Amino acid sequence: MNKQLIISVGREFGSGGHVIAHKLAEHYQLPVYDYNLLREIAIEKNVNPEELEKYDEKPRRVLFNRTVRGYSSSVEDNIHKMQFDFLRKKSDAGESFVIIGRCSEEILKDNPNMVSIFILADYEAKVTRTMERENITREHAEKLIAFHNRKRKAYHNYYCKGKWGDSRNYELSINSSRIGLDETTRVIIDYIDARYHAK
Amino acid sequence: MISMIMAIAIFVIMFGLIIWDKIERHIVTLACGLATAVLVFGVCMRSMDAFLETLNIRNIFTLGFWYEAGTASESTSGINWATVIFLAGMMIMVEGMARAGFFRWLCMTIAKTVKYKVIPIFLTFMVMSFILAMFIDSITVILFLAAVTLELAQLLKFNPVPMILSEIFCANLGGSATMCGDPPNIIIGTSFGYSFADFVTNTGLIAVISLVVIVLYFYLVFRKELSSAGNVVIDESKADPSSAITDKKAFIISTVIFLLAVVLLVTHAQTGLTVSFIGVLIAAITLLTAGKDVVKILKGVDYKTLLFFIGLFMVVGGLEQTGVLEVVADFIGKVSGGKMTVMIAIIIWVSAIASGFVDNIPFAATMIPVIKTLAATTGADLSVLAWTLAMGTDIGGSATPIGASANVVGTSIAAREGYPISWKKYCFSAAPATIIVVLISMVCIYVRYL
Repeated sequence: MNKQLIISVGREFGSGGHVIAHKLAEHYQLPVYDYNLLREIAIEKNVNPEELEKYDEKPRRVLFNRTVRGYSSSVEDNIHKMQFDFLRKKSDAGESFVIIGRCSEEILKDNPNMVSIFILADYEAKVTRTMERENITREHAEKLIAFHNRKRKAYHNYYCKGKWGDSRNYELSINSSRIGLDETTRVIIDYIDARYHAK
Repeated sequence: MISMIMAIAIFVIMFGLIIWDKIERHIVTLACGLATAVLVFGVCMRSMDAFLETLNIRNIFTLGFWYEAGTASESTSGINWATVIFLAGMMIMVEGMARAGFFRWLCMTIAKTVKYKVIPIFLTFMVMSFILAMFIDSITVILFLAAVTLELAQLLKFNPVPMILSEIFCANLGGSATMCGDPPNIIIGTSFGYSFADFVTNTGLIAVISLVVIVLYFYLVFRKELSSAGNVVIDESKADPSSAITDKKAFIISTVIFLLAVVLLVTHAQTGLTVSFIGVLIAAITLLTAGKDVVKILKGVDYKTLLFFIGLFMVVGGLEQTGVLEVVADFIGKVSGGKMTVMIAIIIWVSAIASGFVDNIPFAATMIPVIKTLAATTGADLSVLAWTLAMGTDIGGSATPIGASANVVGTSIAAREGYPISWKKYCFSAAPATIIVVLISMVCIYVRYL
């Protein structure tokens, strides 16, 4: 591909969005950024990645924060700002990549070469997937799904104007449990190709 | 009674919104100030006099506002325009200095003088942070000091967090030493008519004693972490002080203006020039010598903080005019049984603990009329209560990452460069240091004044 292509993949926990993002990256031969984004930043800044990774996609605490002249006391705010700046820098440099979550559909919305997708799934499908993947009980899987989705939603909605999972914020919102992960990926590829050639 | 309840409600809402940190704090104080004007002075009190007294604009057009021949005047009512004007003047001066590269040059010069050795840099930067914060707002001091520390950490391969934490603490401590070092001190000084020399010889002395102990404390806490930094041979051209100077002419001019500001502040009790006059004069000289950079300098001024002060003084004026603060003063007087030792202990510890969690500026602004009433009703020495309040609010803010503006800026700069500082990490060293300095302050006040 000659032109820049950025694929932003938002996802519900257990929807298979992560797998689909990797399949897309493989198809278009693009690097994938998810939690490894902070590792990349840590390497660039020559700091310990573990120090940063514990704040990844975490919402900021409700109380005991303060902002002075645009500087925030919240570590989460600062780590996320660092991630957003890093993404913008890559986008401005014309790089192509797949980015999972991290408010990317809003952070990079001014780039016409960015395609934003949200992967959702039926509740039962998410529970079954999580139980199989993590090898845990149904009760545990349900708790895990509720916890991660609540966290992602709080994180996203604090830093973005658009709401997490709201179809109006994405070019394509698709339920992965209806036609399976492979077919869902194929449909998305068809859309990206059409969109790419339509530009 | 209704007006008192209304004034308290507005004050509590204002504090709540500041702590919530979702709406910018200048919008919060201005909206609450407006609510005070309309609901407290207008609807409840129906008093135009109370409103005008709180607005306090007439004060600006009096000679005493600009020049004080003889004894200094006291004015605790309403908007403290002297604080607002002085801060605006200093902001303009500091913006000019920053543009010329003064702060980065100073940091790099000191690092070079100590031959880029980590422990000597650690010790000298603490002292420099203290001295700079005596004359310049601590946010600016930390803004530059933290940035240079991170730069040196990359070059010399050491962890910058201990150094940034100790610089933040010393900036807050330095701010307590003078009248212009920390906003609570400016408000206290201009409200009670104290001079720069008054602060230096009272809070300044306590701050210097505390500095000696604190430098030793931070050295003992962090020496292992910093000593383990490797002996790296650095390319000195990357840390060359002269490279920091962006404009040589502007650099010389801003240095002269800074020295002039220091001289004027140190001698203002002798010359009779008020801090308002000094602020306006320094700002005028900076702008007149700035050439084409005038607009850029003016754009760099933190107007939001100035608006924050104006709104805040209106809300506190509401509490004052309705008599709420007299009730608070009476309460402290009764609890202490009129004993000065108890009063000092209450003021210093309550101020310190409150300032650790909420902005110390609104707290100090609220407490000023309280200690004035307390002194009038119990016969306590007002100046002793003022120094106690200054030390409590200035130092208490050092205990947590949100206690003072410098803490927020310093930890934020570190985090953005990949060194997140959690509450636990911050409080581990800063909270004991704060307790030590508050104890030193309390003992000094007891020994010297009682």
